[in-house]
Amino acid sequence: MRRVAVSGIGVVSPLGNSVAEVLARARAGRSGVRRLDTPFASRLVAPIAATAQLDEAPSIDAGKARMLDRFSQFALFASQQAVHSSSGALAGIDPARAGVFVGTGMGGTHTMDAGYQTLYGEDSDRIKPFTILMGMHNAAAAWIGIEHGLRGPNMTYSTACSSSAVAIGEAWLRVAYGQLELALAGGSEAPLSPGSLKAWEALHTVATMDTDEPSASCRPFSMNRSGMVLGEGAAMLVLEPWDRALARGAPILGEILGYGQSNDASHITRPSVDGQAAAIRAALLSAGIDAVQVEAINAHGTGTQANDRTEAAAIRAVFGARAAHIPISATKAIHGHLLGAAGALECVLSLLAMQAELALPTMHLQQPDPDCDLDSVANRAREGVAAQVTVSNSFAFGGTNAVLVLRRASA
Amino acid sequence: MTTTFERLCAILVKDHKLPLERLSLYAPLDSLGIDSLGTVELLWTVEDVFHLKLPSTPVELATLGDVVRYIDELVAGQGAALTPTLPAAPSLRTT
Repeated sequence: MRRVAVSGIGVVSPLGNSVAEVLARARAGRSGVRRLDTPFASRLVAPIAATAQLDEAPSIDAGKARMLDRFSQFALFASQQAVHSSSGALAGIDPARAGVFVGTGMGGTHTMDAGYQTLYGEDSDRIKPFTILMGMHNAAAAWIGIEHGLRGPNMTYSTACSSSAVAIGEAWLRVAYGQLELALAGGSEAPLSPGSLKAWEALHTVATMDTDEPSASCRPFSMNRSGMVLGEGAAMLVLEPWDRALARGAPILGEILGYGQSNDASHITRPSVDGQAAAIRAALLSAGIDAVQVEAINAHGTGTQANDRTEAAAIRAVFGARAAHIPISATKAIHGHLLGAAGALECVLSLLAMQAELALPTMHLQQPDPDCDLDSVANRAREGVAAQVTVSNSFAFGGTNAVLVLRRASA
Repeated sequence: MTTTFERLCAILVKDHKLPLERLSLYAPLDSLGIDSLGTVELLWTVEDVFHLKLPSTPVELATLGDVVRYIDELVAGQGAALTPTLPAAPSLRTT
């Protein structure tokens, strides 16, 4: 197997639309969750979400942009950033050996929602001609392939909240085993359409709004946590063989060291300690490292009662007594739950944190939960944490667990 | 009176982001980046703007002049309202 470098990163997120912005805001614990002011917000029990500030990406041709759902626009813009930051990763590449791997849980939900509004809300049959092309889950990956001329595998993974961790992991496998010389991998999600927000609300997994401070409504690992807050955005990574990145003098931002997956095979929503622990163990095995080498964790940490308690138990099951001493960051507190894009954004945050030698804070941790007795880096970033290896957890409805093992660039 | 061509140009400038100076009756649709998919979208908007119901039978449209003639024939045949309406605004960017 070959070592796989991350040589480019692009982001669109509630924490900003560049790597520098995202790191700065995550480090400062500045939340991207806000009170929604859209017309339909009045129909939401908790009118909050983590919104990305990107309505028109300047680098996307206007003629093309009108064919893109919001999730495709995010993905395309993030891929442009990632390629740009890679210092020429595409130069000289055989396009047949370059692939695209995108995770999304909900695809073009804005487009589909608008279509249903036309059909049912307005009692009109005039569905827009591009509705299918914009709504389909593989639209984002397809546009990235077109944009960059990548002719290898063009894959879309939809495993709910682990989609983009799966996408990155599957891309890593292809590059590590020599099938591909380059992959653009990550995820994108734009789930803040009225229908989607109401559907999530109906499931009773979303947080109640903190009326004093709406931006602090998501509180992972805190006793008073009440659920997740939906977020939107995309994160894309350039993956290539370590030696190729070195040879061309690329800025290596980190290394994908391993990837593990498991399925709970027990319940459609209720998480399983055994299932999550199995995914973490599988990831460590694929990375060829022992649990004692893990020095930081980015938790799935959604802020639901069930997830956080289960995840804490899974971490204890794998890491034993050390679990209480590994810095664990639940960054969804400030960027919300990006569903199919969450794993990719959290992978990026993990790499950036290692590079900056810090543990990102778990914000809004007001009342530590004894059932989640981990080192949760409560409310303030911890500087001077020189972790070499970070585990990034992504768990999902449907029970598809995916875990990435990441190594600092200098290792 | 606004001509069919002028109303068509308004759609192409607004929705297809084409510069007005590139638009002429002789301009091939292909040269404007309007392929078969783009033509489907254009005709969808034409239905709205010209208050027409387009037949489902396929039609060969090579130039903007062809589109203008096609619209004019349909307007004459269907007696559609002659009051122009603005093209529908793209709704890609709800937040």
